[in-house]
Amino acid sequence: MKILIAVSSKAYSGETLSVGMKVGKAFKASTTIVDVGEKINQFSMKEVDMVQERMDSWDIDRPGVDVLEWAFEYLAKKELIKTNAIEAGFPKNTLVETGGGRSEVFLEGTFCEDLNLILRNGDIIEELKNEVQDYEYDVTIIGGSGKGRMSHDLTQYVNSSIFVVNNYKANEDYRLLLPVDNSQGTKKAVKYGVRIAQAFDIEVDIITISKTDEFKEEYKSAANWASKFLRRSNIKHRNIFLKGEPSELIAKEAGDNHIIVMGSSKRNPLKTFFQGNKPLKVLENSECPILIVK
Amino acid sequence: MLAFSNNSLANYLFWVSRKKWLIITFLLSVVLFYLPTPDGLTSEGHRTLIIVVTTLILIISESIPLPAVAILILIMEVTLGVDSPDGVAASFMSDAVFFIMGSLMLAVSIVHQGLDKRLALTIINVTGNKTFNITFGFVTVSAIMSSFIGEHTVAAMMLPVVLALIRNAGLDTVKASKLSTLLLFSIAYGCALGSIGTPSGGGRNVIMIGYLSEFGLGTISYLEWMKYTYPILILEIPIAVAVLWFTFTPKQKNLDSAVRKLKVDVAKSGKLSGNQLMAIFVFILVFLGWIFLSPKIGLGIVALTGVFFYLTFGLIEWHDIARRTNWGVILLFGSAISLGIQMKETGAALYVAENALNSLQYIFQDVEIVRWFFSVVLSAVLTNLLSNAATVAVLGPIVLDMGGNPIILGIATSVASAFAYLTIVASPTCMIIHSTGLVSSNDYLKAGWKLFIISIILLFLVSFFYWPTLS
Repeated sequence: MKILIAVSSKAYSGETLSVGMKVGKAFKASTTIVDVGEKINQFSMKEVDMVQERMDSWDIDRPGVDVLEWAFEYLAKKELIKTNAIEAGFPKNTLVETGGGRSEVFLEGTFCEDLNLILRNGDIIEELKNEVQDYEYDVTIIGGSGKGRMSHDLTQYVNSSIFVVNNYKANEDYRLLLPVDNSQGTKKAVKYGVRIAQAFDIEVDIITISKTDEFKEEYKSAANWASKFLRRSNIKHRNIFLKGEPSELIAKEAGDNHIIVMGSSKRNPLKTFFQGNKPLKVLENSECPILIVK
Repeated sequence: MLAFSNNSLANYLFWVSRKKWLIITFLLSVVLFYLPTPDGLTSEGHRTLIIVVTTLILIISESIPLPAVAILILIMEVTLGVDSPDGVAASFMSDAVFFIMGSLMLAVSIVHQGLDKRLALTIINVTGNKTFNITFGFVTVSAIMSSFIGEHTVAAMMLPVVLALIRNAGLDTVKASKLSTLLLFSIAYGCALGSIGTPSGGGRNVIMIGYLSEFGLGTISYLEWMKYTYPILILEIPIAVAVLWFTFTPKQKNLDSAVRKLKVDVAKSGKLSGNQLMAIFVFILVFLGWIFLSPKIGLGIVALTGVFFYLTFGLIEWHDIARRTNWGVILLFGSAISLGIQMKETGAALYVAENALNSLQYIFQDVEIVRWFFSVVLSAVLTNLLSNAATVAVLGPIVLDMGGNPIILGIATSVASAFAYLTIVASPTCMIIHSTGLVSSNDYLKAGWKLFIISIILLFLVSFFYWPTLS
């Protein structure tokens, strides 16, 4: 299991990092924290490189290193990395170029073997897509910052599960909202939901929505299966059955005090491109953290 | 799907979503191709203008790599029948491209010497500890140095100095403050306004000189250029300092301890090394070559001679030059100049010039002002969207086809293309200070619009009252 946490700055990424590490711990996953620096205009790329080399000679950090250092301090404070690494401090000099403007610091975690910090530069969606493709992550965790279509595009194109840490408040009493139906994605979503519920120590609302007045047998059995699975994992939960438009009802039910965990859509990408799909619509409408399981 | 999986289909769609401007440009160029050629334009001219539109959209949208745009220009020139393959190749290389190539290599060679620490000490020794004086010193030194060795070289040397000062002032080098914004802009704007000072200040000046002589409109020497532009440079320095100071007045009026620490830092690096002295000596030779030899052997060849010396004296390794030179930009400027020459030869430039003059004459009665207004304002706006050399390469032939005094219009266009104050992408210098993460795009507008307007007014006064007395 591999998890990628995308942070952007100290000021805005605190919650993303803390939620991300909670998830990483829950899955005992190899975790990587990435900072994607701003895209450098092509006319100036070489000049900027040249300047950064000079900055090294003055012992001035390149942009982005400070974000990694901040992430390191967070990991050290929470004792998520080995003690000898904490004592040695942020190993700036081990930031190695791995090609294509990507640099990496390798650390050893306490809950997993690899806990890496990386820097990339460029268009954030392209960079994250490439990172996931080249290094095969299972979950990508991003902040829900107001960058408009960013989380939407990432969900659509990045080939891993996506956790958008939207409006996360550390003091809120969250519940987990788990929409289920007869689709293939539901089982995996339920399994992920269990881990997340355990990580955050919260209760679960299983929600089943029918577009018609009558609940299909398959829907009922999906809800029962999920319920049984949660009971076996010792997680408190309740079943909710609603009728109406799923994407609207899920967002409405979630409000701002739920973490939504739902399966991704198996819809043809071409249709998704023009018309969107259910998880994307929920993402657009909701005000709370959401994990879309692929 | 039978042919490919959902995943690869998603990848294609991702490509489409990222390349929408490429697709739009392609469709637009097909539509333009099938439109009837307007009256007064040859069919070659029509096709040349299609290439110009394609190029501008692709550069601004950055949807494909710049070298790909450069190659596309060449392909389109040949396949659309604008010129023969050999004709395109011949227009691709010129002394101006030699100059751009040589000056980028010189920049790498000079920055490589690590003279920045010396430079820092020299400036600080003159300016003392007062923040205002330091700002004045940074603008002045950036402007004067960049007028000779080009803006990106100076920006690359000055940036570490500024960051070291900010750090030594006890401020965060990752969190913006008025002091950091002020000092960073003092080098960015200093470099930008300095680049107008001599032909070697920027590739675009050389491109303009190249066009003037290629089209048989006049020659202009290194020193003559300076007579035209240096007074503007001198007047702009205090203006820029004032604008920056009043826009970003810092809390720290004195930088005593920061300056002291900087001196200590620099002292550690020791005296000038033999190589550094040699590097300075070679540059002085290049400078003298530009003044005295360039009329005979060209500015580009002089710059390349400098590179030759740097390489043969072992002051820089070829490996470093190869790695640090922006070859894509050289290709692009070669192609852009080739396109400019085709615009002139196919009559496309004349067509655009005449139409622009006709439509603008409704606003201004005086044709002199119309010509000037078109050249300067368009150049100043485009430079903030594209790059200054690309602006001059494309706009130059149009401006020079408008009649009037070509030297005055040509230099005015070149000078206006230095007013790259408003956006991050306007010039490598703007991008360099932005890459520190300490200045946002809003900061460029805050100070930039004032300097932009004052500069245009100043250029107007100089073009109409001072330059006519020179020719």
